Amino acid sequence: MSSSLDQRKPPLPGPRTSSKPGPADSPPPRRSARRLRDRLAGAGFLAPAVLLVSTLLLLPFATTVYRSFFDDRRVSGFAGLDNYALFLNDPVLTRSIQNTLMWVVGTVVLPLLLGLAIAVLTHGGGWSRAARLVVVLPYALSGSAVAVVWNFVLTTDGAANQALRAFGMDAFAQGWLLEWPGNTLVMILANTWQSAGVAVILFLVGLQTIPPETLEAASLDGASGWRRFWFVVLPQLRTVSVIVVGISLVNGLKSFDLIWVLTQGGPGRESETLAVSMYQETFLALHPGAGAAVAVVLTTIVLFTSWLYLRRQLTPKGN
Amino acid sequence: MPTIPGTPRRAPRTRPTPGRILRNTTLVVISLVWALPTWLLLVNAMVPAADYGGAPHWWPQGFGLFDNMSQAWTKADLGPSMGNSLLYAVTSAAAAIVVATTAAFATVIMPVKHKTLWFWLIYSGTLLPLQVFLRPLFLAYADTGLYDAQFGLFLVYVAIAIPFAYFIMRNFALTLAPEIIEAARMDGASWWRVFWQIHVPLSRSAMVAAFVFQFVAVWNDLLFGITLSTSKNIRPVMAALAELQGNYSNVGPPVVLGGALLVSLPTVVLFFSAQRFFVSSLKLHG
Repeated sequence: MSSSLDQRKPPLPGPRTSSKPGPADSPPPRRSARRLRDRLAGAGFLAPAVLLVSTLLLLPFATTVYRSFFDDRRVSGFAGLDNYALFLNDPVLTRSIQNTLMWVVGTVVLPLLLGLAIAVLTHGGGWSRAARLVVVLPYALSGSAVAVVWNFVLTTDGAANQALRAFGMDAFAQGWLLEWPGNTLVMILANTWQSAGVAVILFLVGLQTIPPETLEAASLDGASGWRRFWFVVLPQLRTVSVIVVGISLVNGLKSFDLIWVLTQGGPGRESETLAVSMYQETFLALHPGAGAAVAVVLTTIVLFTSWLYLRRQLTPKGN
Repeated sequence: MPTIPGTPRRAPRTRPTPGRILRNTTLVVISLVWALPTWLLLVNAMVPAADYGGAPHWWPQGFGLFDNMSQAWTKADLGPSMGNSLLYAVTSAAAAIVVATTAAFATVIMPVKHKTLWFWLIYSGTLLPLQVFLRPLFLAYADTGLYDAQFGLFLVYVAIAIPFAYFIMRNFALTLAPEIIEAARMDGASWWRVFWQIHVPLSRSAMVAAFVFQFVAVWNDLLFGITLSTSKNIRPVMAALAELQGNYSNVGPPVVLGGALLVSLPTVVLFFSAQRFFVSSLKLHG
């Protein structure tokens, strides 16, 4: 399956190299001159991308890694792993780790289940297209705009509390964004509201690649409804599921805008995730060493999770 | 609970079985829940700011949408920042696409050595979280006069956009038939000519898709906006929106929501006009 999804696969680097007519066979002098020119032209085509990425992304990355081993005193000295030890004894950072784990679980499970359910339910077309549109629409908003909308809903005199009071459930009305862990949970929900759309789109693409013959065969064998979904459709969505999990996971880990605009990580730095903690430590608390360590830890987690799902994709029987 | 609006008409055999009713009900409930925040956004962005009594509205009342938007535009300086973001998004996305396409051309079609190395070097940029670049960039920008300058933001947005654009363009280039390029090379066309006259026209659809992706990413960026700029006439639009949200109680919810709606319009329009195109470009190859 998955002609289309192959596009999202981490490309197996350089499968073309071998299929090129090998320039290795007996180069006469004219051809080797040409080869040199080709080489130079290739370097020219590559240079802009390589230079921009190295100076503006990779060099800063290396600097951050280096900086994370130095402390935050007036005259900064080598500190070994002291900045990393903060994760064990600084309550703000341990809370941040907890929140990040909650975000990871929430941003994987919710978009996966909801995205799958909505894609399957709206796959038929007809009026369900409208339902799909409603779910996909928030995906077109920015994190900041989503935060503005949800602040309106969740603020103390906001829409959520008003609705609860209107239905006589005053006891449930609360400062949604003011208390941990509630504030983290509602922000995960807000994030799901925005990001489930991309899961829906991916699952729909996946559903379209399922050969109809398999469904017909299942029907002939008497499998229908739930059983057909469970035994025939779902196994064929495995590749897409892995992609959805990977994308949601990385987006959840990187999520900054929503938290920043809604709570700035507060109150009392209780709702920070690692992405927010890095900003707080570096630019507001002026602990660049600690901030760098947070950034490095975040990077490690993101790289590790990306590797998990990229690796799945790279196995020959990835689908 | 609303009843199921009209059973699908095309197939006479679809009679409302319990399963179908359950399925449709679930769908209606999910879409109502999902639509609620959007509905509240639209309704309250339309309430005239002066009439807003402090409690959220659930039904439209009056029409002050354009007033609210123009208040957000002028008082909260959304206007200049939207201009900036438009500039950043268009120029940096376009530059990144060109750079990424040349790199993809080099690593797929030209006889370049160490293709895997170059691939990972460029692609690694999308795997790293943005936080890891912030402080070194901030310091370097402060030293070189790029801090709080339009060119500085342009530059960083280009760099950020290249890796993923490269990923898209490279995957696309892998699907192109090598024969055309080889034939052109046989005829003695230079790489430069082959690139502009053959490769770029062939890759146009993928370039447009990558452009849309990167335009949206730059338009929606908040992190670099608040880190690398501070003046009202330099900063991008999401930084301005975040500040407007910070003045929530002063300007009133209708203006803030109107502002959020206003800054979202470009990406929403782009997203939905390109949606068909996206899906087809996802399905196109293979």
